[in-house]
Amino acid sequence: MTELLQVTNITAGYGDGPAILDGAHLTVEPGKVHCIIGPNGAGKSTLMKAICGMLTIRKGDVVFKGKRLNGMRPDQILREGICFVPQERALFPKMTVRENLRMGGFILDDKKELERRIEGILERFPILRERADQHAGTMSGGQQQTLAMARTLIIKPAIVMLDEPSLGLAPKIVQEMFDIMKMMSAEGVTVLLVEQNALMGLKNSDWGVVLDLGRTLFEGPAATVLADPRIQELYLGGKKAA
Amino acid sequence: MADILQILILGLALGGVIALMGSGLSLVFGVMRIVNLAHPSLIIGGAYVTYWAFKMTGVDPIVMLPVASLIMAAIGVLLYRLMFERETKSAKYSEMTVLLTFALAMMVEGLLGGLFTNTQRVVSPDYATDAFFIGDLFIPKGQLYAGIVSLVIITALSLFLKYSRLGYAIRATTQNREAAELLGVNVNFICILAFAIGIGLAGAAGSLVSFVFSFFPAKHWEWIAMLMSVVVLGGMGSILGTVVAALLLSVIAAFVGTWIGATWSTLTFFLALFLILLVRPQGLFGEKPEMA
Repeated sequence: MTELLQVTNITAGYGDGPAILDGAHLTVEPGKVHCIIGPNGAGKSTLMKAICGMLTIRKGDVVFKGKRLNGMRPDQILREGICFVPQERALFPKMTVRENLRMGGFILDDKKELERRIEGILERFPILRERADQHAGTMSGGQQQTLAMARTLIIKPAIVMLDEPSLGLAPKIVQEMFDIMKMMSAEGVTVLLVEQNALMGLKNSDWGVVLDLGRTLFEGPAATVLADPRIQELYLGGKKAA
Repeated sequence: MADILQILILGLALGGVIALMGSGLSLVFGVMRIVNLAHPSLIIGGAYVTYWAFKMTGVDPIVMLPVASLIMAAIGVLLYRLMFERETKSAKYSEMTVLLTFALAMMVEGLLGGLFTNTQRVVSPDYATDAFFIGDLFIPKGQLYAGIVSLVIITALSLFLKYSRLGYAIRATTQNREAAELLGVNVNFICILAFAIGIGLAGAAGSLVSFVFSFFPAKHWEWIAMLMSVVVLGGMGSILGTVVAALLLSVIAAFVGTWIGATWSTLTFFLALFLILLVRPQGLFGEKPEMA
């Protein structure tokens, strides 16, 4: 297996507080959708924040394409090609859709290229073109999530990390979000996803990671994780995968 | 009718200067959540820079404005790095800045008092005591020039925020600091830049204030209440709101001063602050605060 990102036994927490992650590990393969599941407080979001540089890693390593990311700032990690969309979607509510997309390409120096890429995104997501001049804060939850996900594509990232993209969305819209993820994956973008709805997350992923109390319990192909009786009992409410 | 027009013109010209005085305060709050109670004392700092330049070299206050602005911006960078940078992760950051800037205001007042005494000063270029006359209308040149220069600076600031790359970064940081950081904005640099611009605006306002009002080191206590009224009415962090509120309140204050009595005009600002906090705490252009 050729890993794109390798997280090895990391310990991390907020400020001087107790460690939320203690022995978490993760292997991310290129072009696949990876889903992290686990109960509340397992450290799923913390793991993403640690990878993208928002939290200091106290122990362990995060290695991306052979380069150690420990100690790097979020903007430096973004320049390496890792994008993170947190739970709250991280939009700028008083900026228009187009301005939000421009911010998505903040690290790009070539203005013309940025505008070309924005046009490309608006082409692929007609709903965003329709609302290009509308303030992001006035759009529906699904539209905001679409914008947040589409915005990551501006810099042509290697990895997009999505923290609970389905949060607060209607089931029909949730499926649309997973469809966008699959489209990203088909285009070669690796997706790392935290999903509270473990069944749906794993069904739409290639690789599953089970996190509990800050450490990785299990990782493997999503189908294997789904079929594991312990996982079904603990995290899928005893439901059998269809 | 001519009376009304006269009051309106005087109110608007003064409102322009007050808008500039408030816009730096609003920017600094919007980006960094710093409630800068020391802002008016730094305006007075800018006024003293202009006063001494005028006294020693005779340089016009409007010509001196960019220099005073740059000097105060540099002081702003120093203050931010010394006082605020290390506290940005604090959970009570905004509350802490109130105390820090209160202390800073007293220090600046003490320093200016020690250096320049508490004598009232005013810069007197020729136009400060001259006026245009259009029919029955009387337009003081000093107030008019100060109002126009203020609005030009605010327009330039707005265009910078709207169209420049750094302006995008400042607006993004104002709206969602974490998101800005995740998209590659060096938020710490943007905070330093915004603070420098904010204090630079205080310096620019100081240059204009120096020939519109008389000033002395303790004058800032009068101005902070007036500026907070303007910024709160406009919506904390909104430059447009600050401008609209400053023009509105200045015009109302001018009418109150003329029709009821000059001593009552200041009350306009405090009454507005009181009413806006009761009726619409988020101000004219601010966002409604989330309930816990």
